[in-house]
Amino acid sequence: MRYVIVTLALALALTSPALAHLTPPVVLVSDRDAVVSLLPGARRFFVREVRLGDKEKAAIKQASGWTPEEDFYRFYIGRDDQGRMVGALVFVGDATIHGSVRVATAFDRDGKVRGASVVELTEETYPWVKPLIDEEFTRDWVGHDSQSRFALSDPLARARSNSMTQFYGNVIANLVRRAAILYDYGVRPSGSAMLQ
Amino acid sequence: MLGIRLSRLPVSAKIFCTLYLLGIGCGAIAAMGQAATAVGLTPADVQASFAREMPMTSLGPSGHGQHQSAEREISIGDISSVAKVWVRTPLLIQTSHTHLFGQTLIAGLLGLIFLFSSLGERVKSAILALPFVGTLIDIGGMWLTRFVWAPLSVLVIAGGTLFALGYTLITLIALYELWLKKETTA
Repeated sequence: MRYVIVTLALALALTSPALAHLTPPVVLVSDRDAVVSLLPGARRFFVREVRLGDKEKAAIKQASGWTPEEDFYRFYIGRDDQGRMVGALVFVGDATIHGSVRVATAFDRDGKVRGASVVELTEETYPWVKPLIDEEFTRDWVGHDSQSRFALSDPLARARSNSMTQFYGNVIANLVRRAAILYDYGVRPSGSAMLQ
Repeated sequence: MLGIRLSRLPVSAKIFCTLYLLGIGCGAIAAMGQAATAVGLTPADVQASFAREMPMTSLGPSGHGQHQSAEREISIGDISSVAKVWVRTPLLIQTSHTHLFGQTLIAGLLGLIFLFSSLGERVKSAILALPFVGTLIDIGGMWLTRFVWAPLSVLVIAGGTLFALGYTLITLIALYELWLKKETTA
């Protein structure tokens, strides 16, 4: 009996690192589909790429506790036939312990959220986030900006009862807030002036 | 090797070797299918998933610590319509260590069987080295694609091809020697 227990313990010890492995990515929406669906009314599309300066990164860190680490951030800008801006969209991702999460967030001219979609998860995280996606949880953040509090709303209580769903809901909320901050510094005309 | 030949193995050992080789072959086909659907099987596909994102605008090189921005009009067709996996560094690390362990173990067991082939030492050495070398080129190519030069994605395809070539040669020769080759007495 003792040998059986020792063998089982050894087998468990040897296989346990496998539990820490990331599962394969699950792509829910292509980039093009996200841009088209979140920027309705846009007739012309522009890409604006922004490399944040050191001062901007420091200001973002001080204000939000997050330091932007990408070399540059790409915004997709939608304009109407007259060239007026309809909205802008940015993809923001994070590598969590259970794999990557990537979110597309669109903003109006004033930096208010027009909509957000989860575009990439992993096989492991998808079942945790799906109840939130089914409830269209990102609708609660429409109209929010970088100064708003991004949190899961009370009507999502049933979905939030799973602690991992709650955790990833908060991860996604943080990503949408990061996108709002990036919009302030990358697209909003007064963005860089916020530092002065 | 050591006087042991595949053709002289007892039936139980022949069955073991055969089933192992066939099992690995099925696994390799499944792995290729997974790679084809998740990433793709051309250097361009590998580049799209593994290489660092390059600017679409005239954004200058980094390193000044200053705010930079650039903008240009695109057509909606310029945005990727393919639901493509973008392999970030944490996933690259995870993929590397699981594949280096897994493929090296597979190459090791393939080589172990092939050591008892009746081929000459030079040919045998060259063939059994193929899966090992292919694995290193494959995984090394992923890192080089991401951090050195995107066109090196061709190495990932070349490495995978070498591994497959090594497996195919080892399996065909081993199965021939296990079941078809007639032992000649000196």
